[in-house]
Amino acid sequence: MNKLKLNLGPQHPSTHGVLRLILELEGEKILSCEPDIGYLHRGMEKMAEKLSYIQYLPLVDRIDYLAGFFYSELLCRTVEKALNIELSKRVKAIRLILLELNRMASHLLWIGAFLMDLGAVSPFFYAFRERELILQYFEKVSGQRMMNNYFVFGGVRRDIEFLEDIEEILKILPEKVNDYEKLITENPIFIQRTKNKGILDKNTAFNFGITGVNLRASGVELDFRSGDYLYEGIEFKPVVLDGCDSYTRYRARVQEIRESIKIISQALEILKSEKDLNQNLLNPFTLSLPEGEYIQEIEAPRGLASVYIKSTGEKTPYRFKWRTGSYYSVNLLRKLLKGAYLNDAIAISGSLDIILPEVDK
Amino acid sequence: MFKKIGYLLLSMFIVFKHLFKRPVTLEYPEKKNIPPENFRGKPVVENCLGCGICLRVCPSGAITIDRENKLYKIDLKKCIFCGNCAYYCPHSAVKMSKEYELGVDNRENLVLSYPMGGADERN
Repeated sequence: MNKLKLNLGPQHPSTHGVLRLILELEGEKILSCEPDIGYLHRGMEKMAEKLSYIQYLPLVDRIDYLAGFFYSELLCRTVEKALNIELSKRVKAIRLILLELNRMASHLLWIGAFLMDLGAVSPFFYAFRERELILQYFEKVSGQRMMNNYFVFGGVRRDIEFLEDIEEILKILPEKVNDYEKLITENPIFIQRTKNKGILDKNTAFNFGITGVNLRASGVELDFRSGDYLYEGIEFKPVVLDGCDSYTRYRARVQEIRESIKIISQALEILKSEKDLNQNLLNPFTLSLPEGEYIQEIEAPRGLASVYIKSTGEKTPYRFKWRTGSYYSVNLLRKLLKGAYLNDAIAISGSLDIILPEVDK
Repeated sequence: MFKKIGYLLLSMFIVFKHLFKRPVTLEYPEKKNIPPENFRGKPVVENCLGCGICLRVCPSGAITIDRENKLYKIDLKKCIFCGNCAYYCPHSAVKMSKEYELGVDNRENLVLSYPMGGADERN
């Protein structure tokens, strides 16, 4: 049979950005897959070398537009740890609540987009409707829906308000998630298209550097939240499922939303008992890290995100490096799509939750 | 077989339940979204003293201060609405307004220029 080379993307609507997959086909079977990235490269790391830390902070939200809080928290955390700054309990609780709300918003969008990839339209609108509640809350608190720029070095921009909005979100979401589960989890078409498709076993996941939900859906208990200083004194259970396929990755994300709801309700109690916001705000004009290398990490919705800063003691870093989860998931497509059928290609790549601005940086 | 029929009935029930709810979208040009209090829209400058702190925190270099003509200029083509200038302004001269409809028919109109009267009035 003749072999055919097919370009999937970079303008394909299901690739969530501009991902180009060069597929080699024999009939409908994929012989090899070569991801081509870089269409969304903005020079995030090089830009950091020219800008001071406070100038770079608003740009960090744009690395992953669906989880901007995580990256600004990561940069703030690196600077704070380097300068040995302690955060008060209220600031920690505020950050924790916003991070977990952001994780829920990110997972909700993924549910909608993934189901849209498979051809189901209704869950897309339902998920976006619930995500809108969270985004409107972000807008009230920080001033914008996605590019929040709310965390600053040593604290937050202003005290958190409108706690009743969070309580309402926490009240509404569990029912809605139940509705999604009734609608999606038992759906015969959904099961046929995702069960035993895109199987990612433990060893492959380790070899390709996969972290986050994708790894936990392969039965590995590795959640960087458990050692995180924001999550001290908060009880939660990492979602670990044994299934290794697209279907399990969907179930793991839905369960993570429920887990986030529990975390937020615990953090709300801390927030209510700690009234004063003791911020240790740093002066942004004299801010510079002492000479040395600094690494920090955080569990973002799409896997482990970490930052490496090399400083020479000046006001701008000497070298800045981001490690993002999606980059490794894109690389994994080489392995997962090999031997799969063309009509499963989008279903498998969608299940890994790839965000292209995070890949290209 | 019965399981599948049961699933179908349940899913139809859920879809119809959502169908008869109120719409969540806004018919935009007729009804306008009212942004919340802290919204970061078009930057507005009043009584700027020209200390230049905003120049040092702006990530995109959108702000220029024309000291000869006493004009404070913000280039909306470069501005990313991060709000750093408003947050760090010591006299609260720069504020982020609630205005979000910023389309113009001429590129030059995208450069906002505000008079810098503050210093003269004090002297």
